[in-house]
Amino acid sequence: MSEKKYTKDHEWVSIQNDIATVGISNHAQESLGDIVFIELPSVGKSIKANDEICVVESVKAASDIYAPIDGEIIEINNNLENEAAIINQDAENTGWIFKMKISNEAQYNELMSEDDYKKFLEQ
Amino acid sequence: MNQLPLNIPLKKFHEDNGAKMIPFAGFNMPINYTTGIINEHKIVRNHCGIFDVSHMGQILIDNNEINIKNLEQYIPLNLKNLKKNKSNYTFLLNENGGIIDDLIISNIDFKGKSNFYIVYNASRKNEDEEIFLKCAPSAKTIYNKNCLFAIQGPNSINVLENIIEIPKDMNFLDINIFKYEKNEVIVSRTGYTGEDGFEISILIEQSENFLKKILKSKDTMLCGLGSRDSLRLEAGLSLYGHELNENITPVDAGLIWALDKERLNDKKLNGGNILIDQIKKKTSKKKIGIISLNRSMLREGMNLLDNKNNIIGKITSGCFSPNLNKSIAIGYVNTETNFKNEIFCEIRNKIELVKKTNLPFIKKNYKKKGGNNE
Repeated sequence: MSEKKYTKDHEWVSIQNDIATVGISNHAQESLGDIVFIELPSVGKSIKANDEICVVESVKAASDIYAPIDGEIIEINNNLENEAAIINQDAENTGWIFKMKISNEAQYNELMSEDDYKKFLEQ
Repeated sequence: MNQLPLNIPLKKFHEDNGAKMIPFAGFNMPINYTTGIINEHKIVRNHCGIFDVSHMGQILIDNNEINIKNLEQYIPLNLKNLKKNKSNYTFLLNENGGIIDDLIISNIDFKGKSNFYIVYNASRKNEDEEIFLKCAPSAKTIYNKNCLFAIQGPNSINVLENIIEIPKDMNFLDINIFKYEKNEVIVSRTGYTGEDGFEISILIEQSENFLKKILKSKDTMLCGLGSRDSLRLEAGLSLYGHELNENITPVDAGLIWALDKERLNDKKLNGGNILIDQIKKKTSKKKIGIISLNRSMLREGMNLLDNKNNIIGKITSGCFSPNLNKSIAIGYVNTETNFKNEIFCEIRNKIELVKKTNLPFIKKNYKKKGGNNE
């Protein structure tokens, strides 16, 4: 598994071969508070970086999840269907949201490293 | 001009206890603490939770004839007949019968004088105080001296009894002055969560020590505005700026029970004739409860539609209900709507069938002898 990278919209991405796993960062989960529902994307959907892909609903507010890279959705985390709170417990691991086949690895390389993301949060 | 939010007196205490602060109604307020909104909500429904609501307005007005005459232009109650040591839910009304604010007015003796003690919304302090001071120039706000706490939940009596002597026969909407460490505190058996509970107005100097004592009780914790909102929504209670505003009358909002019907004939009362008319005929809108039929979340501002895709209303408050484990909302629909038909909600870019229901969503759990509605 490659190094985990982050977007300005607080998604995390890790890639293995040409498959990227995407979720929301622990910081995002903390600021959203109790997550009660997630509208998961459809498998097979082609997406472009920065497209709205799905919605995470917390008790407080709805929050859009954006595609970090171009590609196609190939798998969704069905466990979240009934227990969206997994994201609160383990946002950057078992709380992953979808997997995608990526078509442009250069976009991944442009994302923030964990250290850069930490600095970004401090700004 | 953008003004920086004000701080409640115990801001630091809350932050030290893990509060996440957000700006609300001009104040930095705790939205939730470390265990989150859903847990706080459940604590209040099952045990006891403490809210610091010191952002709210509190004022004392001399109970005398001139003040009563002036206040009765705005307040649809017979103020001369307000029972001593009782709290009443009421409104300030504008000339059209629209709601300037909703508030609790109580008749209590304070410092040896008969007073009206009024608790009103933080977001409406300017509007309300302009009226209070016009009606009664000697009126004194007390929120610069006193904090206001709400202790809510089925165990709140047991928790509070350890600290303040509460008479056994104190019921919902009763209010009195008690002693806490030699100083006077105003205690009412009220709240806005649908649970039994108390609201306590206490000197700022004593308030941290008081909270620390309360928090020593088992199964008691600090709760923020996030759970306060989901609790009041489940209880079907209206919130100013959402269900209530200057273009909505108490009749529109289904709050006729809070009006003194005789006062409506009094020409002196703002909008009295309009309200009588609305009660006789039919208002153009009706407040309803809505429940999501799936996992979708209902949010403020979403359109409500009939089965022909016509917009028939709007959601004014929506949230996740921890007790029902699905999303609930309050909204207004046109009264021409055929309620036998299905109601739909425009949830983001989808149109979904929702269920109309009566309010409240849960059974209220007040301690009382007789009946009262809200």
